[in-house]
Amino acid sequence: MSLRDHAIVAYAETKVMKKSDRDVWVLAGEILEALLDKTGFDKAEIDALVLSGLTGTGGSSQFWSQSMCDMLGLEVGFCEEVHTGGCSSIGTIARAAAAIDAGLCEVALCLFADTHVREHNGRNERSYRRDWTEPYGLLGPPGAFGLLQRAYDAKHGVDLNALGKLAVTQRNHALLNENACEELRVPITVEDYLNSRMIADPIRLLDCVMLADGAAGLIVTSRKRAREKGLHKCVIPLGYAERTNFLGGETLIDVTRSGHEIAGRKALAAAKLNIKDIRSFHPYDDFLIALVMQFEAFGFCKPGQGMAFVRDTDLSHTGTLPMNTGGGQISAGQAASSSGNLIEAIRQLMGEGGPRQVKDTTNALVTGIGWINYGRNWGSSAALALVPSE
Amino acid sequence: MAVTIHDTLDVKRDIKHYDFGMPFWEATRQKKLVIQYCKVAKKYQHFPRPVSIFTGRRRDIEWREVSGKGTVFSFTIAHRGPPAFQGAEPYAIASVTLDVGVNVIAGVVDCTAEELKVGMKVKPYWQPLANGEHLLFWQPDRDAA
Repeated sequence: MSLRDHAIVAYAETKVMKKSDRDVWVLAGEILEALLDKTGFDKAEIDALVLSGLTGTGGSSQFWSQSMCDMLGLEVGFCEEVHTGGCSSIGTIARAAAAIDAGLCEVALCLFADTHVREHNGRNERSYRRDWTEPYGLLGPPGAFGLLQRAYDAKHGVDLNALGKLAVTQRNHALLNENACEELRVPITVEDYLNSRMIADPIRLLDCVMLADGAAGLIVTSRKRAREKGLHKCVIPLGYAERTNFLGGETLIDVTRSGHEIAGRKALAAAKLNIKDIRSFHPYDDFLIALVMQFEAFGFCKPGQGMAFVRDTDLSHTGTLPMNTGGGQISAGQAASSSGNLIEAIRQLMGEGGPRQVKDTTNALVTGIGWINYGRNWGSSAALALVPSE
Repeated sequence: MAVTIHDTLDVKRDIKHYDFGMPFWEATRQKKLVIQYCKVAKKYQHFPRPVSIFTGRRRDIEWREVSGKGTVFSFTIAHRGPPAFQGAEPYAIASVTLDVGVNVIAGVVDCTAEELKVGMKVKPYWQPLANGEHLLFWQPDRDAA
């Protein structure tokens, strides 16, 4: 079997909340209940739990996936937590499929529940930062992306109006998404983007993602099992690839390049798709400049042409390349272990996009970005190509 | 719009080190900048690692003293700092490409917003720490061509 012999048979998500009014385990329970109801699977048929490790609430627990099984009453043959940062949510699908192939399990719950605003238990991260960036007050991701965007500007030039267009496009999508964080569902203009206050110059407030609470989940099983269960409306993962520590054995690299070059090429090759065939794009968005770099790395345009590509392309849900049609994380909120763009892609391919439904559901490409390295760009890059089952 | 860039020299710091990076910190006691060098790849690497990032071997690493002169590769101006830095904003942090070919991130001192540009020449500024070590900063190298 290969990845494409598996199916995502159902998705579920809560509304994104600025701060959850419920415990993280209650949110996890809501997702489990919704997925059991949607699929008709009995709880006892769920024999794998795959969590995203991008969690602030579970952050300091070494036993997060096991305690989640205990809390939800799940008995499983495969219990896993994926640790590729913001790549983890799409990474759960590849790992669930691999575990099914290996005979470890048959029906996997991929679960993304996090309430890192309501209750953050600390990352306790052991990294270069305590010696090499924290003594200078470099503020986490905004500081790192400040360095990255300035380097991009020096090499290729930044068009602030193009970044503003991205901000407005995603915000307009959030206005059509009832599950987006309510506090973010306020219209903005390019002027608002340009005038938003500096956080880590050149990074402005409206360049940045906002942490929020929420949960989402998927059921992944073999296509054969899905058919036996009568689950015909599925989404098929055609190709997946990830790259961690791109050019990590080199010094003085071009920071405007990323591991998406490799992850994109491999995922598309496995899917037998050309980048020009992609009908909707759901790229990981922690900062707007990351979207521009991904257009280049995935080959939608040439290196250095990302700003022009944004200017020349209608990225709205009715446009030629619909992008982050749920609002992206920047306008829907960074919630549910950064699974929002993945859930949106699956929703669109199942034709359940409502007022923001894209016309062409032939396929979708979802990406991940994970962790921040020293003066480069990011630690992990991932890509997942999806198609509807029929 | 004119922005005055502050320095962060008055911020209290208690920096925890990894043992394999100690030669860097020991050298700062004499205000010397030492960087890891891979004898096989003939390239520098920073921050310090337990092995050569080029070959994967411990034995290929040595420490070399460098001048610390370089050019600004990139920079950011923090308008919002972590708790210990609040009140010092705005302050600048630069990634500098040393003349020997490796990037090193540090804070920037004695520099105006007008001067601070990608490509600006810099040299080290050493701020004493309570334990006798020094913390590296960048200052404009106004004598450099």
